[in-house]
Amino acid sequence: MNAPSQLYLDRQTNHGGRKTTEKMDTVFFRLDDESLIRKTQEGSHEAFAALVKRHSNRFYSVAYRFVFDKNDAEDIVQEAFLKVWDRPGLWNPGRHAKFTTWFYKVIINLCLDHNKKKKTIALPEDIKLADKQPGQDLLLDAHQKQVILDGFLRKLPERQLLALNLCFYEGLSNKEAAKIIGVKVKALQSLIMRAKTRLKEEVKRSLSGGSI
Amino acid sequence: MTMNLRQFKENLLVYGADIHKWPAGIRKAGLNALSSSAELRAASADEERFERVLKTRKHEEPGSDLAGRIISASQPKKKKARRSPGGFFSELVWEFSLPKPALTAVSLLLVCFLMIGFAIGFSNSIGSVSAEEYQTGIEGFLYYQGEVP
Repeated sequence: MNAPSQLYLDRQTNHGGRKTTEKMDTVFFRLDDESLIRKTQEGSHEAFAALVKRHSNRFYSVAYRFVFDKNDAEDIVQEAFLKVWDRPGLWNPGRHAKFTTWFYKVIINLCLDHNKKKKTIALPEDIKLADKQPGQDLLLDAHQKQVILDGFLRKLPERQLLALNLCFYEGLSNKEAAKIIGVKVKALQSLIMRAKTRLKEEVKRSLSGGSI
Repeated sequence: MTMNLRQFKENLLVYGADIHKWPAGIRKAGLNALSSSAELRAASADEERFERVLKTRKHEEPGSDLAGRIISASQPKKKKARRSPGGFFSELVWEFSLPKPALTAVSLLLVCFLMIGFAIGFSNSIGSVSAEEYQTGIEGFLYYQGEVP
């Protein structure tokens, strides 16, 4: 989340035109997500803007971890938020108690759609894992290690990657992640176990060959 | 409650290497198991190393003004706000920067004026013509048999 001073600057630069906007923004930033989405449903663009400023970076990282591409992740976050603005009735306070839980679902569905459309990108030739030579690990820089790790993650089945991203990287509870994915907690735990076991094997294999 | 090696390893995978973050119900058993077995300590250290590797995963930062981009993209699509009486009054309060007590006082004053107006209207019957009187007047005019001036 942005620092308060940054938020203040954002308010000044983006909404300088209306005298009431700044005061309203200050109030909007104090409101919780559910109040903001309710105000968005009433047509308040300021409430929508506050919601975007509060959550765009967080959900960008969720999308990035799933689509592995900056531009695609940004587009997905934009599409998700515009969906909220265009069809605010999609969020139902009775069914979706927490805005973020519901919005995770929106982002993840868009990521799944995106991945279906896009073919898996192959690892670059110069960092093929099979190519192992003595001392190669010293030559691998942080970026290459990232690409290798991303390569392992890309190979995970979608639901396992999803479970790992939500629980390990996002730090959500098993219960919340299970709700987002739409499975029972036991099933989610099984997904995490399988994902980690598989990754661990891959990482160990690479370590023995000196890749990571 | 005791925890065997298999259960301990499963919990390591599900809840992570930091046993202090495990659910309260199994945390104590996990810590007891860890202190009693070198094998479990090795498993825990192994999981910790693995998680360190996973945490090296970074993502590219988003463009500097992702939020601004989204907000401006939503501007042309802005729909006319659905007006509700509550929304109208709350915007009025913002527009004139009226504090809530002042607004309440103004509202009460308006309601008082309205009630006084009604009271005066109902109590003041002088000058008003009842339907019966009006009908009699019409009949008198229609059936008047005197000379027309």
